Amino acid sequence: MSVAMPPQASRYPPGDLAIWIFILAELGVFAVFFAAYAFARIGDVALFNQYQDTLDRRAALINTVALITASYFVVQAVAAIRIGNASGCVRWLLAGIGMGLVFLAVKVSEYAHHFAEGVTLSTNTFYMFYLSLTFFHFMHVILGMVILAAVALKARAGGYSAEDHAGVETGASYWHMVDLVWLILFPLIYVMR
Amino acid sequence: MGLTLVTFAIGVAGLSGLTVSLSVLGLALVKGQMVGDYFMGLKAVQGPWRWVIALWLMLPGALIGLAFTLAAQ
Repeated sequence: MSVAMPPQASRYPPGDLAIWIFILAELGVFAVFFAAYAFARIGDVALFNQYQDTLDRRAALINTVALITASYFVVQAVAAIRIGNASGCVRWLLAGIGMGLVFLAVKVSEYAHHFAEGVTLSTNTFYMFYLSLTFFHFMHVILGMVILAAVALKARAGGYSAEDHAGVETGASYWHMVDLVWLILFPLIYVMR
Repeated sequence: MGLTLVTFAIGVAGLSGLTVSLSVLGLALVKGQMVGDYFMGLKAVQGPWRWVIALWLMLPGALIGLAFTLAAQ
């Protein structure tokens, strides 16, 4: 499997360093949310366990596979532009965006199911965290897809090359952050009890 | 993918308890580190940035682990 390795050892991660500062800030916010969920759960473990059972773990599995696959496609896009293959880069980015769309579709169907049952933010503490955390992440997936689309458009216009492709690595790094957050969110909200 | 399937299977089987929860959390942290190393490309980075994702994973990992341990008591 190809990985997002820079061509030679570097003291800095791939992409623009500014995006990494932004990524760290985003990860810090998610860490606070995760901790808030876990500590709030101490107050009523039975309630959290009861309503966790109403979640669709199969949908969460599909979404995990979708995001990991999307990340793999984005890694391939970076690998393609590193050898100057702009058209391949665009194709891999579009494939990644496609998997992002799969994630959004599955998540919307989950929300539709819960809303049809009358679930809201004020239903109980568990649903407050479930809806808040997953919707916050949902918005990040959308932002990640917008970034990948912008990178794909520039790549299609010949804006990146084997020598100059930091923009592709920057967009890819943000997307992988979205994937990383879900890998913690999925077991925390859907599985751990 | 394999680790994700294990996590899913634990969820579907309804397994619970501190040991199971911490094991599932551990799997998630391993997957997170793999994303940092291989997808984000940090494995080839030298210096402090090499460990930025590992250090972040320790933060929610420790807090979640502590909270679930307290909840189990």
